Amino acid sequence: MGEIYNALLRTALSKGRLAGIAVVSALAMLLGLAVGLDDNAFQDVRLAGYSLITGIGLSLLAPITALVFGSAVLGDPAEEGTLVYLWMRPIPRWHIATAAMGVVLTVTIPLAVIPIGISAMLTGGGRALSLGSILASFLAVSAYGALFIGFGLLVRRALVWGLIYVLLWEGIVASVGAGPARLSVRLYTQSLLAEIANVPRPEASVDVWPAVITLVGIALAGMGLALWRLRTQDIV
Amino acid sequence: MIEINGVSKWFKDVVALSDVTFQMGPGVTALLGPNGAGKSSLLRIVCGLTAPSRGDVRVLGKRPRHDLSLFSDIGLVPQQEALFERLTSFELVRAAAILQRVPSPEDATVQAINEVDLDPSDKRPLRSFSKGMRQRVKVAQALVHSPKILILDEPLNGLDPRQRLHMIELFRRWGSEGRTVVVSSHVLEEVEKIGSRVVVLGRGRLVAEGDFHEIRRLMDQRPHRIRLLSGAPAKLGAGLIAEGLVVGARVRSDEEIEVETEDVMLLRSQIAKVARKNNIRLKEMSPLDEDLESVFRYLVKS
Repeated sequence: MGEIYNALLRTALSKGRLAGIAVVSALAMLLGLAVGLDDNAFQDVRLAGYSLITGIGLSLLAPITALVFGSAVLGDPAEEGTLVYLWMRPIPRWHIATAAMGVVLTVTIPLAVIPIGISAMLTGGGRALSLGSILASFLAVSAYGALFIGFGLLVRRALVWGLIYVLLWEGIVASVGAGPARLSVRLYTQSLLAEIANVPRPEASVDVWPAVITLVGIALAGMGLALWRLRTQDIV
Repeated sequence: MIEINGVSKWFKDVVALSDVTFQMGPGVTALLGPNGAGKSSLLRIVCGLTAPSRGDVRVLGKRPRHDLSLFSDIGLVPQQEALFERLTSFELVRAAAILQRVPSPEDATVQAINEVDLDPSDKRPLRSFSKGMRQRVKVAQALVHSPKILILDEPLNGLDPRQRLHMIELFRRWGSEGRTVVVSSHVLEEVEKIGSRVVVLGRGRLVAEGDFHEIRRLMDQRPHRIRLLSGAPAKLGAGLIAEGLVVGARVRSDEEIEVETEDVMLLRSQIAKVARKNNIRLKEMSPLDEDLESVFRYLVKS
């Protein structure tokens, strides 16, 4: 599996992708620092930190990082015609899917999870907010990452469709009511963070364990989708 | 070893293969056909990369899309140029060796890269490789696990004449070692050198199969259209018909006539004599349908 991981990782990592995501990561940390330095401006620093983490970290940095690398890790080789060099080997298909997930986590943890955790810490919102941010963002990149790995094999231009989902569905449609909100990953990551950080929960939120189970379930479903596509789709 | 039974493949309204049946065994088989004939679709089905819309394919008695163990015995050189661009040739071929569970992957990698006349210690990423070098890397990753079956889709594209010769020698050697080597090409002259057994595809159908020389004879015996330039085209045409050298003639202009012959060699050897006999100055003789497309069109029609 190490060879697949290595080939996929080096293909997915490009200077452009890394630079683009690093800018958003740096912005998240800078905003965290700004909140921390100007804590007199906020009545409740923990709530301000929570708003920052959900607004920038869980709504933008985590999903976009997972989308950029998740959709590309198998989607690009499938479209370019290099997947065949991994696919035509006597290895179980889950090796390829798991290696792809490993690549996504390798990239998203330093580029999204750790910066979100640092940002939470810099706000001065407390230990619970920092730990909650790390856990929620880790589960977020896992769920989004797996979902977009499968999506990358399912559709062409997965990046565009993914952006539509993250920005339009989760950003606008999901805020309209409880129904659409339950069909968005963000609700569960926000619920989790709100519970752990002990701040008022968002509308339609769920408890800690249902949130964790749902996020793990989404990650498993994404992996299942990728596995199914690897077994059934035509390989270029 | 490879059995193709009534295989058809279509993509929506486009038929890529239509009821193709034949077998391939040890030795080199050249799969010949013009672009769009269905060669790549057929090879992709044999490798399990896509399923046939109808029919059945067995490779070593197994169904390629259902039995992963089969990939231990197949090496594929795909047609597309793309490679994992940031890897070196050594890294790509070693990855193939490891994934194929070759006992000594490093040694096998060095051997495979040497075999295709590249340098195993070359540290440059594949994105800096020329087209010919990339082709050879593709061949190296396909043979690193010494498969029983090698499928090569247009493997000579982008190679210079010396490399082509080297590669053709390799194909022949693998064939003589008892491997099943299938090489697709749209270049007739290449196929002549690659293998004595030829399968010809045209418009998704099996057009001919068998010994190359037999098929070549069939191709050469088809009616050929020839353009002749002379001072008296009508008189020249009449003279050629009278001698039985051409089966049809059409005057195109004051100096041009198009004739149809079933024996080009005989026409070539006799035309000067006919022109002299009729006191005609022959200026030029050029074939009108020597390109491969015409040859395939003829084969498909017949």
